[in-house]
Amino acid sequence: MKLIKESPLFFILICTSIIYAALYMGQYAGQKEENTIDNQTGYETENSNSTSPEHTEDEQETEVQEASEKETVSGNSAHETVSGNMPEPQTVSGNNLQEETVSGNNQGDVTIETIEPEFEEILPIRETTQEEYLNHISADIYGDAGRKRALEYEFTEVDETWFDDALFIGDSRTVGLHDYTTLSEHADFLCETSLTIHKVLKHNFKGYGTIEDVLAAKEYGKIYISVGINELGTGTTETFMEAYTQVIHTLQELEPDARIVIQGSMFVSEKKSNEDKIFNNSNIVARNNAIATLADNQEIFYIDVNEAVCDESGHLAEKYTYDQIHLLGRYNDLWKEYLLQHGIK
Amino acid sequence: MVNFAGLEFIFGFLPIFLVIYYATPKKYRDTILLVGSLFFYAVGEPVYFLLFILLTGINYFLAGKVAGNKRGMLAAVLLDVAVLAVFKGLNFYTESILLPMGISFYLFKMISWQVDVYSGRIKEKKNFQTVMLYFSLFPQVISGPIMRYEEGNFTKRRRYTLWQFEEGLEYFVMGLGMKVLLADRLSILWRDLQMIGFESISTPLAWFGMIGYSLQLYFDFWGYSLMASGIMVMLGFDFIENFHHPYAARSISEFYRKWHMTLGRFFKDYVYIPMGGSRCSKGKVVFNLALVWLLTGIWHGNGLNFVIWGIVLGTLIIAEKLLYGEALAKMPVLGNLYVLFFIPISWVIFAITDLRQLMVYFGRLFPFLGMEGIAVNTQDIVKYSQTYGLLFAVGILLCIPAVFELIKKHRRNPVIALLLAAVFWYSVHFLISNQSNPFMYFSF
Repeated sequence: MKLIKESPLFFILICTSIIYAALYMGQYAGQKEENTIDNQTGYETENSNSTSPEHTEDEQETEVQEASEKETVSGNSAHETVSGNMPEPQTVSGNNLQEETVSGNNQGDVTIETIEPEFEEILPIRETTQEEYLNHISADIYGDAGRKRALEYEFTEVDETWFDDALFIGDSRTVGLHDYTTLSEHADFLCETSLTIHKVLKHNFKGYGTIEDVLAAKEYGKIYISVGINELGTGTTETFMEAYTQVIHTLQELEPDARIVIQGSMFVSEKKSNEDKIFNNSNIVARNNAIATLADNQEIFYIDVNEAVCDESGHLAEKYTYDQIHLLGRYNDLWKEYLLQHGIK
Repeated sequence: MVNFAGLEFIFGFLPIFLVIYYATPKKYRDTILLVGSLFFYAVGEPVYFLLFILLTGINYFLAGKVAGNKRGMLAAVLLDVAVLAVFKGLNFYTESILLPMGISFYLFKMISWQVDVYSGRIKEKKNFQTVMLYFSLFPQVISGPIMRYEEGNFTKRRRYTLWQFEEGLEYFVMGLGMKVLLADRLSILWRDLQMIGFESISTPLAWFGMIGYSLQLYFDFWGYSLMASGIMVMLGFDFIENFHHPYAARSISEFYRKWHMTLGRFFKDYVYIPMGGSRCSKGKVVFNLALVWLLTGIWHGNGLNFVIWGIVLGTLIIAEKLLYGEALAKMPVLGNLYVLFFIPISWVIFAITDLRQLMVYFGRLFPFLGMEGIAVNTQDIVKYSQTYGLLFAVGILLCIPAVFELIKKHRRNPVIALLLAAVFWYSVHFLISNQSNPFMYFSF
């Protein structure tokens, strides 16, 4: 009684602490069981998709071959740029550990069993190792084949009105593009700080609703998406890629006529990249390389603003940023200019 | 662990230490407090822990057995100042943070103790354990308050009552809330302005950011001081006040009698008054004030902006003393506006270490200066006032003396106790989500 009277706050804190501790213990005990199961299965599913490195290489060759055959037949003008390049030797570089040349002319064991794929799917060269997973290292499991292919597309210069039927989806970097360039006068923006690929479909954007709501209300010709940095510390390249693929497919279903432009994540500065175990450019490259493979250069495209904002050493240029991550307000124009240079025919 | 607003401290060191402290017979509590404090410091600063021990020893032995040992006192004070100057100087030339944890705070305590022993202000016989305890007290060792020796209840009886404990806990929780729920969140605003680049913020946002920074700084430091003093009270000591509604002051000199009071007092008692204070010619007074404020500026950080900050404040205080101080005191509202204009401006100088950037910010604050912004988003204030409106409202309310005093007066009321408990858990909630997601404040 004396305690309650003389020391009510102490009393309340002691009581609530006890309750909290009890609840936490209970929850923790429950969670612990779940966790062990979850983690194991979670990790295994990630890996079960990918096959051994050599096998992947074979498949890739097969598909490259197959595609070039197909394209010569179809003679579609949009395809020509692609097919013209495909048979040439291609370098699929892994993360330095693995660098092999895949020759498109190599006949190898061509076993075409499936129906014609829409585009040559680039499969992972290897899988994320347990060590990489535990250390939050995003493994560069795809190499830059997808990125190279995507950037071979002949982009065209457009003016700002081109964005009148565009929708931008993104994290705080896109917030900067919205707040500090004139693009916001043309395109619609669904962007919010700390947006991730895992949240993007569920997220309720202030004043707009979910992506589904927005796509139902208005028809868009282009959808630009730029997320990926916030989730660098979560999951593996595989889980990220899985979520990304899912989102892109959902966007296609919701807006079948829109062209989807995947924007590779912008790099961080050299200083940040060297200091940060998670938010560094090697992790960003790995994930950009993954999502770039989704680009078919017909309906899905991949662009990479890093060309426009990086210094010679390939990091976000120091002078364009204060916090080593975001473009200073005024330099968002570099991004806008890049977008104007990378319109799609 | 050494961060008061950290889970390790709140749920680890502090409760464990309190239990041990109160389980120990009163006679040995000083010893246990000393051991705990040394442990605390050694964890936070394993490298320079020995420097602290060494300085404590030297200071103790240089001080005379009786008052009036001028030589010993001067030698010790010179040594303390030299050590501080060396580290501050090193810090100036090397980018990395070389300053040992809390060095200026414990050195100021050492200087204060030396002078007080010499002047006879401290009457009791000196005792090594007590002196070391005074220097090392864990609630104060990192960032003050710079308590004076005779303010500590070393020989005066400490109060070990539930009432007293509750008092300390209340202060601690208030401080925690100010730090975690106000200051830490407001700090994101200032970070955002830097991220955008000052040249691209609108004039309203520049003012908004300046006010936000003024609130952030206040609640960060006031909150910290309340936590530190709160812990002292929980241990049975008297409350040491470090902030007393500074933003309600009516002159800059009054503001600094109410802001970081123990530091202002230190400079007044150990620099300004020994030099003659205000009891000398006008010219000397001006010189003394100028010196104190130059030192204050240099002490706060290395960078020309801190010197400018000190000069600006010193100039205003000298002008008040010589010109308009008395007149201002008679005009309450004008005095308040004067303080609320110049103090936030001075914080901008304090905040921006790059002088060119500082000019840019002033250009945005006062567009009539003729500097154009680049890629300014004129609507930015709408977005930021929505995000930070509530924090500003709470912050400004707490700056009004009547509001805080009302809460303080009724703190035994169960409603306030419940409110404080909510503040505590809400703060803890923030700390936990921050820990489980260390990027909460750094999400992009």
